Amino acid sequence: MSRDMGDRRGPLEAPAPSIDGVGGSGGEVGRPNRATPTATGEGGLPVAVAARLVEALGREAVILEPGRLLTYESDALPRFRRLPLAVLLPRDTAETAAAVRILIEAGVPVTPRGAGTGLSGGAVAAEGGVVVGTSRMTRILSLDPLRRVARVQAGVVNADLGRAAAEHGLHYAPDPSSQSACTLGGNVGENAGGPHCLKYGVTTRYVSGLTVVGGRGEILELGGADRVEDLDLTGLFVGSEGRFGLATEIEVRLMPRPRAVRTLLAVFDGMEAAGSAVSMIIARGLLPAALEMMDRGSIEAVEASVFAAGYPTDAGAVLVVEFDGTEAGLDAEAELAEALCLDAGASLVRRARSESEREALWRGRKKAYGAFGRITPDLMVQDATVPRSTLPRVLREIVEIGERHGVRLANVFHAGDGNLHPKILFDRRVPEQVERMERASKAIMEVCVRAGGTITGEHGVGLDKRAYMPLVHGPRELEVMGAVQRAFDPAALWNPGKVLPDEPEDGPAEDRAPEPVRRGDLQVLEHSVEDLTVRVGGEVPLTRLEEALGAAGQWLPLDAPDIDGWTVADVVGRAPWGPLAPTFGRIRDLILGAVVDTPGRGPLRLGGRVMKNVAGFDLVRAVPGSRGRFGAIREVVFRLMPLPGAHAVLTTDLPFPLDGHAEAVELLRRLVTHPVQPASLVRELGPTGSRIRIRILGSPASVASECAELRGLLREASTWEGPAPGSGFWRRDPLGEALASEDPERPVLEIRGGGADVPEVDAGIADLGPIVVGAYHLPLWHVWRVQLGVPSDWADHPELSSLVDRIRSAGGDVGFHRAAPAAWGPDRRVAAEVAALEGRVVAAVAGREVDGARPDGTGAGR
Amino acid sequence: MSVPTGSGHGLLGQEERLMACVHCGFCLPACPTYRVLGDEADSPRGRLHLMRAVSEGRLPASDPAFQTHIDRCLGCRACEPVCPSGVQYGVLLEHARETAREARGSGPATRGLLAVFGRRWSSRLAGGLGRLLRATRLPALLARVLPDVAGLHAIRTGMAMLAASAPGRSVRNASGGEPAGALDRPVPEAGPEGASDLASAAVAGPTTGDRVALLPGCVQAGLFGRVGEAVRRTLAVNGYQVVERPDPGCCGALHAHAGELSAARDAARRHIAALEATDADWVGVDAAGCGAAMKGYDALLEDDPEWRDRAAAFVSRVRDVTELLAAAGPRAGASLEMAVAYDPPCHLLHAQGVREAPLRVLDAVPGVRRVPVENAEGCCGGAGVYGLTHRELGGVIGRAKAKALSASGADAVATGNPGCMMQIRATLLLEGVDLEVVHPVELLDESYRRAGLYDERE
Repeated sequence: MSRDMGDRRGPLEAPAPSIDGVGGSGGEVGRPNRATPTATGEGGLPVAVAARLVEALGREAVILEPGRLLTYESDALPRFRRLPLAVLLPRDTAETAAAVRILIEAGVPVTPRGAGTGLSGGAVAAEGGVVVGTSRMTRILSLDPLRRVARVQAGVVNADLGRAAAEHGLHYAPDPSSQSACTLGGNVGENAGGPHCLKYGVTTRYVSGLTVVGGRGEILELGGADRVEDLDLTGLFVGSEGRFGLATEIEVRLMPRPRAVRTLLAVFDGMEAAGSAVSMIIARGLLPAALEMMDRGSIEAVEASVFAAGYPTDAGAVLVVEFDGTEAGLDAEAELAEALCLDAGASLVRRARSESEREALWRGRKKAYGAFGRITPDLMVQDATVPRSTLPRVLREIVEIGERHGVRLANVFHAGDGNLHPKILFDRRVPEQVERMERASKAIMEVCVRAGGTITGEHGVGLDKRAYMPLVHGPRELEVMGAVQRAFDPAALWNPGKVLPDEPEDGPAEDRAPEPVRRGDLQVLEHSVEDLTVRVGGEVPLTRLEEALGAAGQWLPLDAPDIDGWTVADVVGRAPWGPLAPTFGRIRDLILGAVVDTPGRGPLRLGGRVMKNVAGFDLVRAVPGSRGRFGAIREVVFRLMPLPGAHAVLTTDLPFPLDGHAEAVELLRRLVTHPVQPASLVRELGPTGSRIRIRILGSPASVASECAELRGLLREASTWEGPAPGSGFWRRDPLGEALASEDPERPVLEIRGGGADVPEVDAGIADLGPIVVGAYHLPLWHVWRVQLGVPSDWADHPELSSLVDRIRSAGGDVGFHRAAPAAWGPDRRVAAEVAALEGRVVAAVAGREVDGARPDGTGAGR
Repeated sequence: MSVPTGSGHGLLGQEERLMACVHCGFCLPACPTYRVLGDEADSPRGRLHLMRAVSEGRLPASDPAFQTHIDRCLGCRACEPVCPSGVQYGVLLEHARETAREARGSGPATRGLLAVFGRRWSSRLAGGLGRLLRATRLPALLARVLPDVAGLHAIRTGMAMLAASAPGRSVRNASGGEPAGALDRPVPEAGPEGASDLASAAVAGPTTGDRVALLPGCVQAGLFGRVGEAVRRTLAVNGYQVVERPDPGCCGALHAHAGELSAARDAARRHIAALEATDADWVGVDAAGCGAAMKGYDALLEDDPEWRDRAAAFVSRVRDVTELLAAAGPRAGASLEMAVAYDPPCHLLHAQGVREAPLRVLDAVPGVRRVPVENAEGCCGGAGVYGLTHRELGGVIGRAKAKALSASGADAVATGNPGCMMQIRATLLLEGVDLEVVHPVELLDESYRRAGLYDERE
């Protein structure tokens, strides 16, 4: 691997259609192009194709001049270079689709490119390929502060979205270090992470929908906050590194900005002591927003740069620890972390006293990569994730690797989620240094994989890590990834040569054979308290798992009302979600890995057991909600949360339906936009009224303070406070009892309100009358879930049909969830192309063709 | 004089500077041309890539891509402060322009600009003619009535720029004219403790009583003589002594930006020698572009063993006049009730890293409210003769700035560079917005005049 791809110089061929377009390199913008090379020849873009592209996009959006193309030969990992035949800069989805159709028809490979800040060579053109850049798609299309949803074009810069959200007191959580330059489209392609993903999760958690130009240049609408989704194609697409198509529009969920923050710096003599401090902080149940580590080499680089952060240059390692949330209680958390750092051997602990001090601390961390430009001609930045508990050992081994291979190493990384970024300093002009760098790189990867980690946590595989893929994936898994890629891209023209290795290379040739899982094994297999993960058998009842976790002070923040008596496999297969989802995410956001017993391919291991994992396509994301279509779920790895120290519930009664009660509607609006972010905000609907229940979780001090704030908003509120009950809260509630369906035939109706307002949807539900058993409303997501008391198709109920029509005409969506057979009700609103894609994906994973109805009664989603 | 090495070599010998770029792309959003065009070749990283390709022999310097994209750079250097690797983009751009010019030659507009302002006599002549023409009010009229068509673009823009160099209303009477009202109002004193704190804190910094040699500047002296006068008066009020000396001519900024590095080096040597012949502590500059060029003399003469150290010593003495004033307090004057939009010149903010000093000058004027401006730190599109050489792109960038400024609700725009003053005011004129543009020191000067500080001295 990692050989330079060499220059593809020589005559690059480009036609010069003398169309009335404007300037390429030959002239100023706005003036006709002059003197473009006109030769055609072997390997160039055919003249007819170039002419059609110019016709579709305009001359100034089609770059053909070899000199200009030179600037697109690499991304931020310039070791990999190849000249594209052309670069296209479309302005919107339609233009992109038009251009892509021309390329696909001509058999020309397409490579998407955002800002070119990627660190794995993902945006380097394929051989004989064309680059489609999103740099002119920079519009924020909508931002709804009430729903906390924004829709942006792919080329919007991450930090620009952050600024727009900040005007409404919101923020976009994923914050890759390149956020000042990188684009949302690139973030989606790479499933970007960042320092604050420790608490908030990576890109995939915040992407609720995508507009994708797909394998044949067709436009696909995947997911969407107003769509009832079946197979999680959105989650599958995120992190596909341009191999599944190009997301031209992205719908993201925003979060309230943390109201207060504490940032502290702890100084250690060495990396090991700092690593122990990390483990101690997590083991004590603290959940910092970020937990970052830098070693001496990185500190020196940063302090020598314009972004000097005031890190002591004689330190062996520093930790930057940040807590955020409600003001009350933050100091206690910071003090505890400080004490733990001192216990672990910190020589100095300092807290940022002002916002500018905090910014300086972060600036040093975020600009560290570029800062190395001052001290080394070339830099290889590695990216691997290991279970947090193995950090001290892995760090020691990496230091040894540096010594053994005689390379200068520096380390700056996301310690909180075990995401390492060892940096190897070298000079590419010295071949021997390049060789040593490559040997050390590979050794580091092997150490991380042996520790139970993965070969990339956030930078992606691209060209750089392709050869390492067999270290973490067996041939069968690689085969499935290839099959899913072909399901999206049958012509195999999207970013070919990336992610998947060409042919099986050296490395473990056999499959990562899943350890045998015994049928009927009711044990929790492996709870790693320090890593906040659990590996559990699919047949384990959820309650059993919850008890085991609770005993260790942790929980799975999944609390759907209707999952009583379910096993882990039931829960994952059906992917129910409840009131906690807007804050903690759905099952798709809590699952790290799974073993699925596929009918065609046998047992298949998907994902892993580390917090961040972008080694290959994110297939595990599609397991929640697959309802058995991939096969039986044998085993699951979840990420966990520390059980909060305190818990409170505020309740207040409102009318139902809400039409005609403007005051109540206004109260809902104020709750939704309130800066206090409760763990859940739900409105239970009954025949005569509705009841708002706000659940607050956190430290005793923060819960008390947030309760007091919200109580001021509610006229008549009753409060219940006490120790956190952990999981199962809603199931022990009357609402849960009403919704926990004994009859698997009874469907749950999911209503995504779209443009319909709350009173309108309420009225529609009220009209359904006695067929409603119970219902609740999640104002944060503008979603209602309604338990119907009869096995039903909506054709049987005119009121139901009318509700469905009304919601859909307002841009929303309605769907049935039925427990058994695990299938959707009729009339799921989905484009034929998306439904066909779902079918192909299911067939790819399950390992056989899906011919409509399946023996076990599950369908392919139509 | 020894023959300096490196002169005339353009990008050759700049490998180390080029290698500093790690290709991270953090500079992209800071670049005005990238923001408008979205083309990597119009980004700092792309231009550095082209430079490196030329220096490595992978791309001929005559290639249209190199020529166009190096030429299309505004030279605002907004990419420098955001660069974690500390790439010296401004220095590299000058070398790239030299390489580009040697391969293809300069364009007519650049040649014209150099021909006029690059020499002392022609610069003075042009300044005089310009002032005469400006006094007829004809330029303002022509800028308004000429249609915006390609053939007339140069005349229309030129007339607007000339009209734009006229004094603003708020400061029209600064030197003489009608006396202002409240002469007897008490003048707030800048605390002497504050001043001495500053002096002791920064040993090498300017202190009251220091001697300052001023750079007359070519465009500045020709069309903005009033700014130079305001500088002299305000410096004096703040305790500086202005040293009189012969005018060493153009600072070489125009040459360096055009890639005429040899001529730029000559200018630099002239200025260094001229300062050495005085007993001045500082060179005070009221034009950000000239200040940035003079602060870059060390890089310009780095390969010249005879001048290298003298250049470094010179650079350590160059200060923007607002830096000098800020170091002295500055003393407060009488109130000017107005909302002011401060537009930081790129060559002050990005190239010199001077952010606070102009704000302290404005804040020394009681009654002045600074209003926020969208994308305040973005380039105004002035960049020398960019409006002439890059009509469409310069127009897009300039109009965005004009729009942001007129939306700010300000009564006046303050910016410390003649190019920016003319570009902004000209764009506003052409857009039909009557918003005056002044140098920050002009407001301080007017404030001092109204406070009667000058009368006391006379």
